[in-house]
Amino acid sequence: MVRLNVDQMSRYVSPVNPAAFPTLSIVLLGIGIFLMAWFFVYEVTSTKYTRDWKKEILIALVASIFLGYGGLFLLLWVGIYI
Amino acid sequence: MDYFFVRCNMIRISLFCILFAIVFVIGQEQDNLVNTNVERTLDLVSHLPKEIISVTIENRGTKGIRSYDYYVEPQHVNNVAWVGANVKGKDNDDQAGLPIKQEATDKTKGAVYRIELPNDLRAGQTITLEIEVVHAHALRMYPAEVTQTERQLVLYKTNAYYYSSYTTQTQKTVVTLPTDRAESYTQTPKPVAKNEQTITYGSYENIAPFTRNDISLHYENNNPFLTVSNLKRWIEISHWGNIAVEETVDIYHSGAKLKGPFSRLDYQRRQDSYSAVKTFKTSLPASARDIYYRDEIGNVSTSHVKEMQDQVEVEIRPRFPLYGGWKTHYILGYNVPSYQYLFNKGNQYVLKMRLIDHVYDDQLLEQVTIKIVLPEYTRNIEFYPPPYNVQRLPNEKHYTYLDTVGRPVIVITKRNMLFQHIQDFEIHYTFDKIMLFNEPMLIVIPLFGLFCLVIVLVRLNFSITHNESNEVRMRIQAIWDQIIEINLKRTNFYQKLDDALNTYKTNKDLKGYNEQRKKIETELKTLQQDLTNLQAKIKVDSVDSAEKIAELQRLDSQQREVQQLLSSLAEKLVGGKMQKQAYLDQEQTARNKLRDINKNISAIINQY
Repeated sequence: MVRLNVDQMSRYVSPVNPAAFPTLSIVLLGIGIFLMAWFFVYEVTSTKYTRDWKKEILIALVASIFLGYGGLFLLLWVGIYI
Repeated sequence: MDYFFVRCNMIRISLFCILFAIVFVIGQEQDNLVNTNVERTLDLVSHLPKEIISVTIENRGTKGIRSYDYYVEPQHVNNVAWVGANVKGKDNDDQAGLPIKQEATDKTKGAVYRIELPNDLRAGQTITLEIEVVHAHALRMYPAEVTQTERQLVLYKTNAYYYSSYTTQTQKTVVTLPTDRAESYTQTPKPVAKNEQTITYGSYENIAPFTRNDISLHYENNNPFLTVSNLKRWIEISHWGNIAVEETVDIYHSGAKLKGPFSRLDYQRRQDSYSAVKTFKTSLPASARDIYYRDEIGNVSTSHVKEMQDQVEVEIRPRFPLYGGWKTHYILGYNVPSYQYLFNKGNQYVLKMRLIDHVYDDQLLEQVTIKIVLPEYTRNIEFYPPPYNVQRLPNEKHYTYLDTVGRPVIVITKRNMLFQHIQDFEIHYTFDKIMLFNEPMLIVIPLFGLFCLVIVLVRLNFSITHNESNEVRMRIQAIWDQIIEINLKRTNFYQKLDDALNTYKTNKDLKGYNEQRKKIETELKTLQQDLTNLQAKIKVDSVDSAEKIAELQRLDSQQREVQQLLSSLAEKLVGGKMQKQAYLDQEQTARNKLRDINKNISAIINQY
């Protein structure tokens, strides 16, 4: 294999601007926590005759995606570069 | 018998002669070289004796010559930490040093470093090389132990002549001492002249190859005798845009050992601890952020960071001054944005950064271990060392936050690294960008799993009794919840119907209005059907509720009738079959009726 030359390569920057980590983590975690709260409120207030598993899965999925990405950016924000 | 021995000896001698002839023929080419002029400066200011030898070579043979042999005396063979060579006169800054290969060491002649010349040195030509040689552990502390306030004295033995395999025509050695105080220095071979900090040996004429004339210099040196016994450099790459560097340093004072007690009071009050090292400076890359300096106890607050144009300077002040033989241990870490050292083209990445960095001026790092942690799932890792020999150990795995298969770690070690060894290495690897999403998924999936667990848990029944009335109540409540929802939708549809009617009154588009009305009425019919179904369901549990629903349905059909009335009235008005006043009166009555109906419906719904 031919050895690559750095002069012909571009500098690698993060896919997400590090300056946006705080905002991203706060916004995503905010939405995620709201959805999680909604999920748990729904779980405890609904009875077995009113529960709709499709709705539950949907909220859980969206909440976990928001919490996951929010948590990731929180880690990056505090300096745990994973 | 005698004859036999003689024969054997004869054979041996002739074999030796042939071997000698071969060696002679090979060596002959280089024997035509002559050092016409050598200027040697020996810098003894720091704890690393540094020689800069500017040597002019002339080829007096007939053939072109490609290389020049630099010899190190047998006594210095083991302490040579760096040999570098340049062609003098050229701009040395952007010019990489000439390639040097270390040949086998000869016990009597010393070590050979073969310097490759930039081009053939033809017969009669001359070239001037500048050879830089740094010795480590070459100084002897004499005395080996001093008290707190004593000055450090050092003994250094070297050759008065330039040690070479070639004849040297004229040469001169200039020794620079740290202070003008020299306890003693060899005064032969003449001429020797001392002028403040410098001692000049020479010039000498026509010195034969491999001539040695040991001289010893005994002088004062209170410059920091710092040596890093062990440096661990940890470079961690994150594709989220960061390169984290952490250096774990074991440093000790390699000067004369401290004899007797240490008095903190004397140290603070009297500024006469000459040999002690209080502080030293480390330079970091200009883009270094989040710098930390700590030891086993924690953060060492006695440090200062100065941001400069081309570097960040950290002034490191250990918790205690370092005296001869004392040592300390610390960790210095910082982050650098990835664009400084990481390059990419598609999914091909190249990390190009310094193998070691500056720790302190005139650094000597006895044992260095560099570990480079690449992201998970990198493939095709290739390591290209700087232009000197390093030892690469087998790759390791490192597990940290959100790791599954472990990150590949490249391990490099080298002994005796100096300032001159601060050079770039390269690591080439392949990394698929999609793998960046691996890490958030490692948070998302467990969270989703947790939610699913909750979904399952609430469906499990842990009660030990079966309460039928409770069940009935819940069932009824569930149905009423649906009814409320249906009612909401129903009100909405009526509102829409009303809106459509109003639009019709202004734009008089009967066709459009009828279409819209039909659509809404179908929806309403479905809702009516749903209500009927729920009524059938609830009848089992509660007759009362079923009656209420029947009432609701009755009210709903009333509402529909009124709505139809309103509609036909509007048609009449638009068609001009009705006076405006009469229409307004009748509409008012109808609307009042609607209001009553709605009130009744709300009254029923609000009970639940």
